[in-house]
Amino acid sequence: MAPEPPGGPPVLALRQATVAYEREPVVEGVDGEVAAGQSVALIGPNGAGKSTLIRAVLGLVPLTGGTIQVLGRAPQAARRQVAYVPQADTLDAEFPVSALQVVLMGRYPRIGWVRRPGTADRQAAASALAQVGLAERASARFGTLSGGQRQRVLLARAIAQEPRLLLLDEPFNGVDALSQDLLLTAMGRLRSAGAAVVMATHDLGLAHLACDEVCLLNRHQIGFGPIGTTLTPELLRATYGGQALQLRGDGVIVARP
Amino acid sequence: MNLFEPFTIPYMQRALAEVLVLGALAGAVGVLVVLRRLAFVGDALTHTVFPGVVIAHLLGRSLMAGALAFGVLTAVLLTGLGSHRRVGDDAALAILLTSFFSLGVVLISRTRGFTADLTVFLFGRVLAIDRTDLVQTLVVAAVVALVLAVLHKELVLRAFDPEAAAAMGYRTRRLDLVLNLLIALVVVAAVEAVGTVLVIALIVVPAAAARLLADRVAAMTALACLLGAAGGWLGLAISYEVSVDHDLRLAAGATIVVVLVGLFLVAAAVAPLRRRLARDRVPAVARRGLGNSGGVPQ
Repeated sequence: MAPEPPGGPPVLALRQATVAYEREPVVEGVDGEVAAGQSVALIGPNGAGKSTLIRAVLGLVPLTGGTIQVLGRAPQAARRQVAYVPQADTLDAEFPVSALQVVLMGRYPRIGWVRRPGTADRQAAASALAQVGLAERASARFGTLSGGQRQRVLLARAIAQEPRLLLLDEPFNGVDALSQDLLLTAMGRLRSAGAAVVMATHDLGLAHLACDEVCLLNRHQIGFGPIGTTLTPELLRATYGGQALQLRGDGVIVARP
Repeated sequence: MNLFEPFTIPYMQRALAEVLVLGALAGAVGVLVVLRRLAFVGDALTHTVFPGVVIAHLLGRSLMAGALAFGVLTAVLLTGLGSHRRVGDDAALAILLTSFFSLGVVLISRTRGFTADLTVFLFGRVLAIDRTDLVQTLVVAAVVALVLAVLHKELVLRAFDPEAAAAMGYRTRRLDLVLNLLIALVVVAAVEAVGTVLVIALIVVPAAAARLLADRVAAMTALACLLGAAGGWLGLAISYEVSVDHDLRLAAGATIVVVLVGLFLVAAAVAPLRRRLARDRVPAVARRGLGNSGGVPQ
């Protein structure tokens, strides 16, 4: 596990964070901290507010209550330290860009206006692409890659941003097994370099593999803590309601929303 | 048919210079329009600058100045109205397009002999381009080129992945305003030459043709500029030759558009062949890549 800078602020601190659209709360009372090198899974059914919470951490939707701090600052002030990985299938597969060019986009904020990517940027992008196992597909058009490969390209773009906080929205949706392994490995490498990871997922198995903390959400926070003690049958039932099925003994399975 | 001979005459030289600059300019901006699927925004702008052109004409001022005022006004209103949650982009477009265009028609219908004026505003008169018009077009082209030099990669990022662009701290609404203003500037620059109705073809058609043939934004941009300029040149030459040699009067602006659409059809015919060639090359690449990249290319 990465060393936490002694005395520094946590990478992400949520204090009773609440977001509402037109007075209707979308997600309410989220409270917790994420330290450097830690990884948190946001778990909850569709419409639970996972994506909204991620957008709030990015400073893209205003809070209607509570606070969110990234590295001790307001989210908008910390964006250079934060990388966001959207779901690959939300992007235009016909867009005329290569895999490497997509990764280079992660360098744009530090390149600035007018200037074009330099040698250092190209090296960073190529190295990020290699970390997700796609060095040989650098010049392939983004849309010609498989779903899993596209998701890896988007993670490589985030790696090229050299973030201290990585936010992912359902990164394993429709992803093949090899891509899943490579995504997990690359995320692990970012964490050992000291980045904190927050990822929305509805896959409890992958949450176990990728994360050590969990935040259970269904419009409000149901639990936040170490995955072993928080992912309990009681809390899962509270999170998923009728979609959680009790098995014999302690097991709970969650029907896919 | 001689593609060079018509351009020994001064007014044809000016017309040629005008359409070459306009074609390249519209091609470059058109790429962003096509990638953002904003063709309808371009179409709306071509109608909303119309009252500006009419007012300038009534006041005896430069048509371009009038168009510029209304182009900027539209770009601002469009960006503002479009971001309103309950109005949305499509409704904002329809409201602006029809209200501004009607305003223009109402104003011009009060003048005598207005159908002649109307024709000029709607379809332009590229053969009557004078030195001042040409200089104005060059100035607009320089401004657009400068803005693209500063913000091109950011505009492409916003077109590809708006969420990530916003997450990186880019103000996407401001980038949208910049692009709307660029479209407005192209429309304004083209008003004298091809009129407000045909300019949308200059913006969209070369870029759409380039879209079929190119796999990179840079290649697509180069191709769109080239096709735009080539369409302008061929269109002028054809309309001149046919008018002079065969005594069939072909409107220059409309001929340019017809040629551009012809180029688009050629691109559409060639694109599947190119894809087949590309597919034949893929297996070799995929075989090499599979070792450590995995996944099956779709």
